[in-house]
Amino acid sequence: MPRIERSATVSWEGNVARGAGFLGGDTGSFTDVPFSLPSRLNAESGKTSPEELLAAAHGGCLAMSVAGELTKAGSPPERLEVKVRIVMDEVDGRHLVVGSEVDVDARVEGIDEARFEELVEEADAACPFSHLIRASASVTVRARLNAT
Amino acid sequence: MATERRAEVTWNGDLMNGAGTIDRVGSGAFGPLDVSWPARAEEASGGKTSPEELLAAAHASCFSMALAGALARAGSPPEQLRTSATVTFVPGTGITKIALTVEASVPGLDEAAFREAAEGAKANCPVSKALAGVGEITLESRLAL
Repeated sequence: MPRIERSATVSWEGNVARGAGFLGGDTGSFTDVPFSLPSRLNAESGKTSPEELLAAAHGGCLAMSVAGELTKAGSPPERLEVKVRIVMDEVDGRHLVVGSEVDVDARVEGIDEARFEELVEEADAACPFSHLIRASASVTVRARLNAT
Repeated sequence: MATERRAEVTWNGDLMNGAGTIDRVGSGAFGPLDVSWPARAEEASGGKTSPEELLAAAHASCFSMALAGALARAGSPPEQLRTSATVTFVPGTGITKIALTVEASVPGLDEAAFREAAEGAKANCPVSKALAGVGEITLESRLAL
């Protein structure tokens, strides 16, 4: 199996309360994206945060896992819409990621609801991000078939 | 106080030939970003991001804030930090390693104290905690900038 490496680079100036940072992915897909502590804990103000990036990562991973399981089962999706909310809370005075809540809306031909549910569960189990986050937080996946 | 951060992704078609988009994130700070399985699972990214690259950005930014906070609390806030994270993904196995490197300019701090603060940030930042299941998380730190 290949080992695939993906990197990102961050620059930060100043202390944590008033400092500010910029981040980018080494593929060049996103560059000079701002982040800061106030925008992480309070209003986003157009700045990203580690938790938002984790939400995007988990969503991308789960979308591919669901597409993969449906494809293997002979009913590839026409379209998937995946929404992720990462919840961070203070636990014993420390900020922790406590949950990832995922909604999947799928448009798939030729599959019944029960089989679809099974495949989504398998996709959740196969997605490395679900697996990692579940080690220390809750992951819930709600899926709807041909609802929209 | 709990905070919620959001992302929305769409995918069209099967895994190998289909493609997806990270359409939007709650802050609007980036996106839309294209993703695909070949761009994720092969050496050549074709300029597309992937869940692993986004995770690298999440971990590097989380670590940097934790380190800036620890240094400031110890009375020596950094002038500048430059952090990179490299996530190793083995398709079929999962995420096997994250390598963090940080170079910093911190007036009035020696190398040993800096290293200790960096190790603490690696252990305690919320993304590190959430990724405790990754087999190997390494850190190289030096005062350099």
